[in-house]
Amino acid sequence: MYNGLSLDQAPPISAVMRFFLTVPVFGILLSLTVFLNPQSVLTPAHPLSLAVIHMMVLGVITMAMLGALFQMQSVLGGRPIPAASGNALIIHAFLTIGILSLSGAFAFGGAAMFIVAAVFLGSSILYTANLILPLLFGGVTHDTLRGMRLALISLSVTAIFGIVMASSYANSSFSTMHDAIRTSHYSLGLIGWIGTLIIAVAFQVIEMFYVTTPYSPWCKRNAFRMIAASLFLKVVWLFFALPFVWIFDLVIGALLVGFVVTTAKRLQLRKRRVSDVSIWFWGAGIILLLISLMAYGAFEVSSYEPLVSISLIAFALFALAIILGMMGKIVPFLVWFHLSSAGIMDAPIMSNIIPHTRAKTLFSLFLLTSFSLLGGVFVLELFVVGAIAAAGMFALLFFNLINALKVYRFSLTHGLRFEQI
Amino acid sequence: MILLDTRELDHPVPLEMAVNAFKKLSGDEIVHMIHRREPIPLFEIIVKNGGRYLSVMEREDLWHIYLTRSSAVKLEHDHV
Repeated sequence: MYNGLSLDQAPPISAVMRFFLTVPVFGILLSLTVFLNPQSVLTPAHPLSLAVIHMMVLGVITMAMLGALFQMQSVLGGRPIPAASGNALIIHAFLTIGILSLSGAFAFGGAAMFIVAAVFLGSSILYTANLILPLLFGGVTHDTLRGMRLALISLSVTAIFGIVMASSYANSSFSTMHDAIRTSHYSLGLIGWIGTLIIAVAFQVIEMFYVTTPYSPWCKRNAFRMIAASLFLKVVWLFFALPFVWIFDLVIGALLVGFVVTTAKRLQLRKRRVSDVSIWFWGAGIILLLISLMAYGAFEVSSYEPLVSISLIAFALFALAIILGMMGKIVPFLVWFHLSSAGIMDAPIMSNIIPHTRAKTLFSLFLLTSFSLLGGVFVLELFVVGAIAAAGMFALLFFNLINALKVYRFSLTHGLRFEQI
Repeated sequence: MILLDTRELDHPVPLEMAVNAFKKLSGDEIVHMIHRREPIPLFEIIVKNGGRYLSVMEREDLWHIYLTRSSAVKLEHDHV
């Protein structure tokens, strides 16, 4: 039975790796900013705090997730992204310029930089959505694709709100709707884009990579509907200043707790208990998500400000944990897959492309970063330690990625071709 | 016929095993891989290296994949 899929659908390795290689660069840049200005970064709504937040969610998290989307769409969507190399080049360039402009605009001020950021970030994100979203409709459909749709739609709306806010910052003129726009912007960005895409990926990879029992079909079918409905209603409530908006946070929080519990259960009860650093990252990630949710819930009750910082830092670290864990799986796979496709039949086995010791060191640095940054909310010196650990972590990630590419290039040139066997 | 039952193995071991088995094939030999999912990336590797494949779903979590390098051998599934 021929399944009707195109057999030349994987994007070139460069299309994905250009996004992945940029992740540690922004990571080091934001670590340096935190190291030099820990107090400012910890002050809510401080320009440097906003610069660091956007370097993290755009430069690290979104950069990695868009790279992964280029790969995922071709495998899961069944319809390849057209002209993947050229489109990746354009999107990556615009995104990078946009993130640098936005961070610079927050850090150094200047109306023009906000406009440049809005143009470049808005166009890169909306172009991405316009490119990939149509491919997610009309062909094969499964729960992960539904999650990818919701994530991309949320990212687009987040970007539109972001453009409006950048224009407000550029003109130093804020409408009466500013608070509603800002809350909608970060709710859609954090939950609709980041959270949803991670859940969609989990539905696919947890059972595939780790041979676990599948998530319940009911959960998979309804999770994205409930997130979409809650986010939509939350935005409506915010714009019309209706009471009890926290109800939607409660629904989303309950869904995320459900995700944490079901994922933890599957990882705990997996059939083969092979030591794999990516599982450690998933474990750390879901614990950090739980910390984030608990801190947010506690803040809603107590209004104790540091809890907001804890919640935001833990959420960012949750996303980073999943990204680092998945990069450790995706990058060796990409190297092996593209070498094997090119007829290199002595391609190195995947577990040798990023050695276990280096993967474990990366995880240790991630743990040190997490403890230090979360503790740093209460003890400033720890925040500085966290910045140093994060810089080391991102430097090692960069080293791992560069080495994987070196292995790829060397094998492509010197490897034994299939026809030589 | 080389039989590979990879249903209980973590990703990416099944893919590596299938490609290793494929490159050792000679003449009209066939690899019969039993897997819990359809290994779509594997097909691209096989076709790009002059091979052919047949993918048959028995259940949503039970797939039979047949790989060969021979252009003469007829790929068919007789286990369902």
